[in-house]
Amino acid sequence: MESPNLYPVKLYVYDLSKGLARRLSPIMLGKQLEGIWHTSIVVHKDEFFFGSGGISSCPPGGTLLGPPDSVVDVGNTEVTEEIFLEYLSSLGESLFRGEAYNLFEHNCNTFSNEVAQFLTGRKIPSYITDLPSEVLSTPFGQALRPLLDSIQIQPPGGNTVGRPNGQS
Amino acid sequence: MPHIFSQTPRMAPAGRPSDLPADKNISLNVIRVIVKTPGKQKDFMITEDTSVRQFKEKLSAHFKCQMDQLVLVFMGRLLKDHDILSQWGILDGHTIHLVIKSKQGSRSVAHSSQKLLTNEPCYQDRNTRGNSSGVYQPDSVSHTPVESALSVEPDASQVHTQHLEVGSPEHAAQEMENPSIQLLLSNTDLMIQLISEHPDMQQLMQQNPEVSHILNHSETLRQMLELARNLAIIQEIMQIQQSAQNLEHPLNTPSQLGGEKIPGGSNALGQSHADSNDQMLNSSQDSFRDNIFTALLRGQVLEHVQSSPPSPPSPQEKWDQLLKTQVIYTSSCGLSSMTSDSATPNKVYHTSRANTVANSSKGQSHTCTIQQPSGVPNIVITQQPQEEGKDATFSLDSSDQRLEDEQTSSQITGSMMQLLLNNSYLAAQMMSFMSMSQLSEQWRQQLPTFLQQTQLSDMLIALANPKALQVMLKIEQGVQQLATEAPVLLPWVAPYLWGLGWLPAPSCSYPDTEPWDWDVPDVAETKGPECNHKSGALLQKLQSLARDPSHIPQAPEIRFSKQMETLQAMGFENHHANLQALIATAGDTSAAIRKLKRFQGF
Repeated sequence: MESPNLYPVKLYVYDLSKGLARRLSPIMLGKQLEGIWHTSIVVHKDEFFFGSGGISSCPPGGTLLGPPDSVVDVGNTEVTEEIFLEYLSSLGESLFRGEAYNLFEHNCNTFSNEVAQFLTGRKIPSYITDLPSEVLSTPFGQALRPLLDSIQIQPPGGNTVGRPNGQS
Repeated sequence: MPHIFSQTPRMAPAGRPSDLPADKNISLNVIRVIVKTPGKQKDFMITEDTSVRQFKEKLSAHFKCQMDQLVLVFMGRLLKDHDILSQWGILDGHTIHLVIKSKQGSRSVAHSSQKLLTNEPCYQDRNTRGNSSGVYQPDSVSHTPVESALSVEPDASQVHTQHLEVGSPEHAAQEMENPSIQLLLSNTDLMIQLISEHPDMQQLMQQNPEVSHILNHSETLRQMLELARNLAIIQEIMQIQQSAQNLEHPLNTPSQLGGEKIPGGSNALGQSHADSNDQMLNSSQDSFRDNIFTALLRGQVLEHVQSSPPSPPSPQEKWDQLLKTQVIYTSSCGLSSMTSDSATPNKVYHTSRANTVANSSKGQSHTCTIQQPSGVPNIVITQQPQEEGKDATFSLDSSDQRLEDEQTSSQITGSMMQLLLNNSYLAAQMMSFMSMSQLSEQWRQQLPTFLQQTQLSDMLIALANPKALQVMLKIEQGVQQLATEAPVLLPWVAPYLWGLGWLPAPSCSYPDTEPWDWDVPDVAETKGPECNHKSGALLQKLQSLARDPSHIPQAPEIRFSKQMETLQAMGFENHHANLQALIATAGDTSAAIRKLKRFQGF
C-alpha cells in the first residue's frame, strides 16, 4: 500500500492588540484576556486567512502583522494543494465571501476553524474561538457591541484566492 | 438499507477485504454520516461497511456530478475508492468533507496555446515564494497559467488583438475591467519581471536604487499593483494631474509608446503623462503631496468608529490608495519611454519620496488595518483637511536638501522615540497630550517619518494605531469621570493614573505633578463607592461617545477656561496647577480650590 503524502498544517496566531489586551482587559472588561486573536492556516507553504476582503493568501508570515505570536500544530493532511484550492474557492463563493465578515460571529477564526477541520478533522484551540463570547459576556462588550460590530479587519499583504482556472 | 457488495477489480488494501461473503450484507448497522461540502451539509444513512466507491455513487447522484469529481476527506485523509468507510473509523455522527472538483480538470487548461502574447519573451518560473497568489497551479510555469487564464476568459478576445487601443479612455476602461488583465496585474512575480526587464526601467534603477527597492519590496509592489488595477484610482490621478498642471503636450498615441507590452493599466497611466518636464512633475507632485498629507493626517487622526453601514471606498482607504497610486504613477512613468533626462532624477526622487511616504502611511494606518466606515468625522482636528494640508509643517519638497534636513530631524525624533521607549510613563503622558488638538496635529505630522525611519518597538506600533489611541483617550476620560463620580476608587486604578499624569510616578520629570493627596472626604461629590457605579460611569461615558461621535472632547484649557479665570481672580497664580486641579475635579471650582489650598499649604 502506498504511503500517502502528508502535509503539515499549522495555525498561526497573532495578537492584534500587541499586548495591550493583556494589560488593559482587567480594567476595561473586568476579566483577563490574553489577546485579541487573529489566526490563519498555513499549509502547502502558504498562509490562508479570512478578512473583510474575503479569503486571502500570502507567504507564511507575509501580512503586515509580521511573524505570528504563536504557532499551533494542527496536524497533518493528505489533501493536496489542488484539492485544497478548489475547496477554498468554493468556500469563498459560498460561506466566506468578503461581505459575510463579522467581527463577532464570522471572522478569521471561524474560517481557520473550518479549514482546520476540513484538513485534519481537528478544531483550533477553544481560547481563540471563545473570544467573542468572552467579550460579549461583559457589560463593556455589550455596551460597545454596535461599535465593534462594524469593524472590519483585513490584514494587508495577501492576495485574494480565486478560482484556479476560471471555470465555475 | 442493505447494500449488495460487488467485487471490485482493484486490489484490496491490507485492511479488511472488500469482498465479503454474501450472507453478511444483511443486518449491518446503519449509521448516519454527515457530508459537509463548502456551504452546506447533509446527512446520509449508510451501512457501516459501505465502500467509498458506493458512497461516491450515492453522492454523485445526490449532488448531480460525476464520480471522479468527488473528493472525500475524513480526518485529513483522502478516501480512496477501494476503501471501506468503517476502515477509517467512520462511525455514527461523524463528518466527512466533500469537495466537488470543477468539471474540467485544472491541469488540462495549462496546456493551452502558447500563441498568446508571443511578443513577450517566455519567462522562467520565478515562483520563489511558492504559490503566493493562490491562483495558479503550483507546478506549471507562472507565465503559462496567465495564458491559459487568458484563453479561458470570455473576454479574452480583446486581449488577443495585440494592438491595445488605449487612445480613448473608454477602451482603457474596458481593458482595465478585463479580468484577464486584472489577473495579469495580480501576478506580482510576472509584473516584477516585466517591469524590471524593461530597458527604461533598468536605466531608472541604475540611477536610483530606491526604485529597485520598491520592486523588491514585494508588499509594496503587491499593493501598488492592486491599486493599479483599480480603474477609479487611476482616473482620479489623471484628473488631479490635469487640474494641477497645464498640459501643453498632447496625450500620446499608442504608437508613441513604442510597442509597450505591459497592457492596460500602465499604458493608461503612461499615455496621460506625455512628455514630462520638471515643472509639470513638480507641480503635480506638490499637489499630490498636499493630498498625501491630508491622507496621512486623516489616517492618523483619532477617529470614532460609527456604526453606520460601511460603504466603499472609505475616505481613508481611498486616500491611501491615492497615495500608493502615486508610486505606481511614478514607476509607470519610468516604464513609458518618453522622459527627458532632466526629469528623470527628479522623478526618481519623487518615486523614492512617494515610496517613503507610502511606506510610512502603510506603517501608520495599516499596522492592523481596521477599515473605518466612510463618513467618519474627526473628533480632534476641527479644521478642514485642506487647511491641514497647507499648514503641515512637515512638507516634502523636491529639493534634495530638505530630504537631508528631514532625515536629520527624523533622526532626532528617532532618538526621542527611543527615549519614549525607555520611559513608558512619558509615552503615556504624550498620549494624553494627544487629546489636545493643537499639539496633536503637529505630533501627528511628525509621525510618518518616525515610524519609517526608526526602530520601532511593538508598543510604538500600537501607539500609532489610532484605535489604540482612541482606547487610551477613553481610559483618560473614564478616569476623569471616575474622579467625579467615585473618587474613592481612584487608588484602585492608580497604576493607570500615574501613567496618565494624575499621580506622581516614581522617576518622572513631569513638570507639574505635585503630590496630590487624595484625601477622599474632601472631594465634594462622594457618592456611594459601588463598583457598579464606577463601571456604570465609565460605560456611560463610553456609550455616549459611541453613540454620539460628534461629541468633541475639548482641551481642558478650553473647557475650564471660565473656572481658570475664577481661580486666577482668587489669586491662584499657578496656571498649571490650576489646570491640574480642575482636571482632577472635572471642573468643580470649589473642589479645585480646596486642592490648590492644600497644595499651597506644603
